[in-house]
Amino acid sequence: MVTYILRRLATLLPVLFAAVILTFVANQFVPGDPVLIMLGDQSADTAQADRLRREYGLDRPIPEQFIGYVSRLVVGDLGLSFRFPGVPVTQVIQDGLAISPFLAAGALALAVPIGLALGIFAALRRNTMADTGIIMVLVVGMSIPNFAMAALLVWLFSVQLGWLPVAGWGRASQAILPIVVLAIPAAAYVARLARTFMLEVLQQDYIRTARAKGLRERIVIWRHGLRNVLVPILTVLGVIFGGLITGTFVIETLFNIPGLGRIAIQSIFARDYPVTMGIVLLFTALYASINFVVDLLYGVIDPRIRLEARR
Amino acid sequence: MNAAEAVLEPTGLRDFLRRFVRNRSAMIGAAIVVSIATAAIAAPWITPQDYQRTNMIFVWEPPGEDYVLGADQLGRDILSRLIVGARVSLIVAFSVLAIAMVVGVAVGMAAAWRGGWVDTVAMRAADITFAFPELIIAILIAAMMGPGIPTVIISLALVSWPGIARITRSLILSLRNELFVDAAIACGTRPVTILLRHCLPNIVAPLIVRASVGVGFIIMAEATLSFLGIGIQEPLPSWGGMIRDGLVALRTDPHMALFSALVLGATIVGFNLLGDGLRDLLDPRIRDR
Amino acid sequence: MQMGSRWVRRVFGAVSLTVMSMIGIADARDLRININADPEMIDPVTYSALIAGDILKNIYQGFTDTDENGRIVPVLAERWEAHPDNLGFRFHLRRNVVFHSGRPFTARDVKYTLEQLLIPGNRGGLARQYVERVEGARAVIDGQTRELSGVRIVDDHTLDVRFTAPDVLFPIYPFMFFDSATIAERGLPYFQQTSAGTGPFKFVQWRRGQDVRVEAHRQYWGGAPRVDGVTWVIVPSDETAITMYEAGELDVLNLTGGGGDVARRAMRDSRLRPQAITSPVAQINFLGMNQNLYAPFRDRRVREAFCISIDREAMSRGLFGGLAVPLYGQITPGVAGYSATNIPPIRYDPDRARQLLAEAGFPGGRGLPPLKIANLPQFRNEIAYFADQWRQILGVTVELEIMERALFLRSLNAGEVPFFNWGWTAGYPDALYFLSQVWHSRSPFNRARYANATFDRLIDQAQSTANDAARYSLYQEAERVLIADWGTCGLYMRTIVAVVRPNVRGVVLSPFRFLPFDKVVIN
Repeated sequence: MVTYILRRLATLLPVLFAAVILTFVANQFVPGDPVLIMLGDQSADTAQADRLRREYGLDRPIPEQFIGYVSRLVVGDLGLSFRFPGVPVTQVIQDGLAISPFLAAGALALAVPIGLALGIFAALRRNTMADTGIIMVLVVGMSIPNFAMAALLVWLFSVQLGWLPVAGWGRASQAILPIVVLAIPAAAYVARLARTFMLEVLQQDYIRTARAKGLRERIVIWRHGLRNVLVPILTVLGVIFGGLITGTFVIETLFNIPGLGRIAIQSIFARDYPVTMGIVLLFTALYASINFVVDLLYGVIDPRIRLEARR
Repeated sequence: MNAAEAVLEPTGLRDFLRRFVRNRSAMIGAAIVVSIATAAIAAPWITPQDYQRTNMIFVWEPPGEDYVLGADQLGRDILSRLIVGARVSLIVAFSVLAIAMVVGVAVGMAAAWRGGWVDTVAMRAADITFAFPELIIAILIAAMMGPGIPTVIISLALVSWPGIARITRSLILSLRNELFVDAAIACGTRPVTILLRHCLPNIVAPLIVRASVGVGFIIMAEATLSFLGIGIQEPLPSWGGMIRDGLVALRTDPHMALFSALVLGATIVGFNLLGDGLRDLLDPRIRDR
Repeated sequence: MQMGSRWVRRVFGAVSLTVMSMIGIADARDLRININADPEMIDPVTYSALIAGDILKNIYQGFTDTDENGRIVPVLAERWEAHPDNLGFRFHLRRNVVFHSGRPFTARDVKYTLEQLLIPGNRGGLARQYVERVEGARAVIDGQTRELSGVRIVDDHTLDVRFTAPDVLFPIYPFMFFDSATIAERGLPYFQQTSAGTGPFKFVQWRRGQDVRVEAHRQYWGGAPRVDGVTWVIVPSDETAITMYEAGELDVLNLTGGGGDVARRAMRDSRLRPQAITSPVAQINFLGMNQNLYAPFRDRRVREAFCISIDREAMSRGLFGGLAVPLYGQITPGVAGYSATNIPPIRYDPDRARQLLAEAGFPGGRGLPPLKIANLPQFRNEIAYFADQWRQILGVTVELEIMERALFLRSLNAGEVPFFNWGWTAGYPDALYFLSQVWHSRSPFNRARYANATFDRLIDQAQSTANDAARYSLYQEAERVLIADWGTCGLYMRTIVAVVRPNVRGVVLSPFRFLPFDKVVIN
């Protein structure tokens, strides 16, 4: 098991390192002199420009800057913001740090049970009107982009019915619509997979055997079916979570939620590259870690995977 | 369609069409796709008005005789902008698809045929791209290039090629042991010729399936970028941008937000239904990436 | 990725904050009002922009302020008199004024504030140029001394200021005096964390992207505010703000910041309209055409063609839904020096525009280098309208460039934007503010980098003319020079709108936006 963890970890590191290199290179290639962006009014003030260049380490040779960048990253220092001169990136993003993962986790918690229930239900009623209906709903749920869905739901629940606030952050009721909008495509995705896997499972010999033995249908499904559906679902949790994190960029902007996603969007418009890159790095790390954990879990549940990975 | 026909052999094209027509959801998808594509192609002739023309008298005009779907915040005709938006959206989607297909198929073929370090490098590169959520890559590129159509196309092509490369690679690997490939090698045929002349026709069907599933995603991603303001820029209309502008007026003049959201949603539903249908018919083995 | 325990603490801190705020711990007696972006800064030294100003005027004060009609009222100076040679003022400061720190306000703090604005490296903002005519300013700017020799402390509450050239408006400049002891102790970055003013409210905290909070200054010389504090909630979308207002999350719905679209909507809304307050705003809106960056703009006929292709009347009615009036010159009603007859209306004249462009050598727009007009996302509609007019009338394709606020302001200030439209809100009720700040060639805020020697000379002359009538006629002559040269053209003047809950009294909109909130009562 330990070797398996180490092996998985070894594949995780190159991805993180690639992210670090990419963000650094991206920072080098972005247009415009950051110091002049920062100075604005006083862009003719060369003493001031030199001071800022020193403060941001931009007067050092590129390799030295890279080493500095990496060594600061290790201790959690993401550099200084361009948009708010002199303010550390960590300070700009700290208030939003917990919000995006909170939204994504909430949506995941909502999407997985609902998706499983829908998918299994559809599989059990295969080729009935109910099944066809659910499939259509799933396609629609997966197809409509989250902001279009948000427009429709906000119009319905907030403008027409007045049940929920349109936007904002700070109260529980303000988290409902964003989480629901995020959860819809995720739930549809889970349901679709669950239906496919359940259909496969239902064809298996052991299910037929169990049925033949006269076990009650419910026990057959829960004991033998569900378990075999859960494992493949688990493997795609990483992909789903990645989709949810990406979704927060849009959802936070739309619902005026001060999370990392909205900060990232604002930083892009402000050409505040250190903040943008810091957030990209954080999200990549989070995404990679989730995939890592999922891989581990998968290895625990299904030992064959561990053996396969040894090849 | 020679290639597709070749694969469809023992059953034949006619049989394929008959089964396709019987698949109701695929037909719905095809109907939506065909109407959107027709509108997009015919846009210059069928838009009722100049899509750029502002008119201060008809600001937020509700749907009516002159403005079938109403007018936007500058008195521009929403229907015309939705039609031109379809054109923009499809042009972007097919450009992305074309780039991703060429790159993905080339990389996948090279990886499968050469193996060794070529394979390792190509698949590692694909893995690393998979490690970033799509939108985040698009955002990185937007940060470097500034918003606009090239940004959208390049960033979406970048996230689309690895999936195609992977499929191509596994398909070619499975073909390598086929008799006709061995025969070609024995005859001294050049690898490029073998891959393009002999292998490619055999993998076209699954690639078509993969592409048809991909279009829906690309349209959605483009709309998302435009919604955020890092995609298509004014005065070109984009569905994502129209939803953003319409949201401002959701309370009093919801027509633009609702119509654009519905058109965008229906288009993606259409492509996805069509893609699912094609997949069921052509290649039941392929699942979501 | 290895993150130190500092990070872990921060994550947990942020989580618990989120949880706490979601349970709903709120200060019931705070006045809550929205702003559409983070303030650009939160200190009186670098202060140079609108949102920051809306907040800072509640925390810091100057010699004078304006009342709801735009008239000058004494604030920290009880009275002042000009020196006989017209090259200085004697100020008599208000007694019994106490800083947020509890220290008394004295002449020393005035002198210190003026010095800090000039000291190199402090990045002095809008107020810096008001001090540049003070004797000895040059030496401080050059870093030779930190002592401003032209300001002489007579006693704790009396102060003489001497100029190198007459500056008759000095007493009405919007300074923000701060506590010299606090800043000397802690350094300028201290502004991010504390409050060093004399105003009715003390700065408490600024959570980026979320809100800015101030609390009542109980020893405020004008009487303690009747609310506990003020919270400016950062809400980028006005539509979002409307819903928050209706949900009771805002006491004042501030619609003064956006592109006017939402304000127009609010005035059509039967629920919001009865609670709305409005005021014309002392803000010029103009077309910025940088002649250094776009060569065709050096031709007066090209500038005129672009200006007269815009239908100001239709735009005021259509795009702004009547919440704007056409503006032709560069002085707004409500500031001293305005004359309704000085600049005749700019006629919307497509034929003449086409003809002018052809005469300039660009018939039907042919031969013009590519051109972009830039602005912020919330003004996307305005520039889309302009661009379409130029396309329809002149045959010129003008691309739109949407930029983020902070970056756009920096690019504007650096004079790097060839073509834009922009507004400038008067900081004091005198036409000189518009003319000298936006169009004098030496002003750092002359963002179109317009340079006209005749105009500059008239403004310099006005600045040293103590006689009001004579000065006003100089303003008007300068305005005529500017418009006749098509250095720019006025576009429109906005009517600003805010919506106030019925249980809130004392929120006042003036041509200078919100008055400080010290008289606000929430029932």
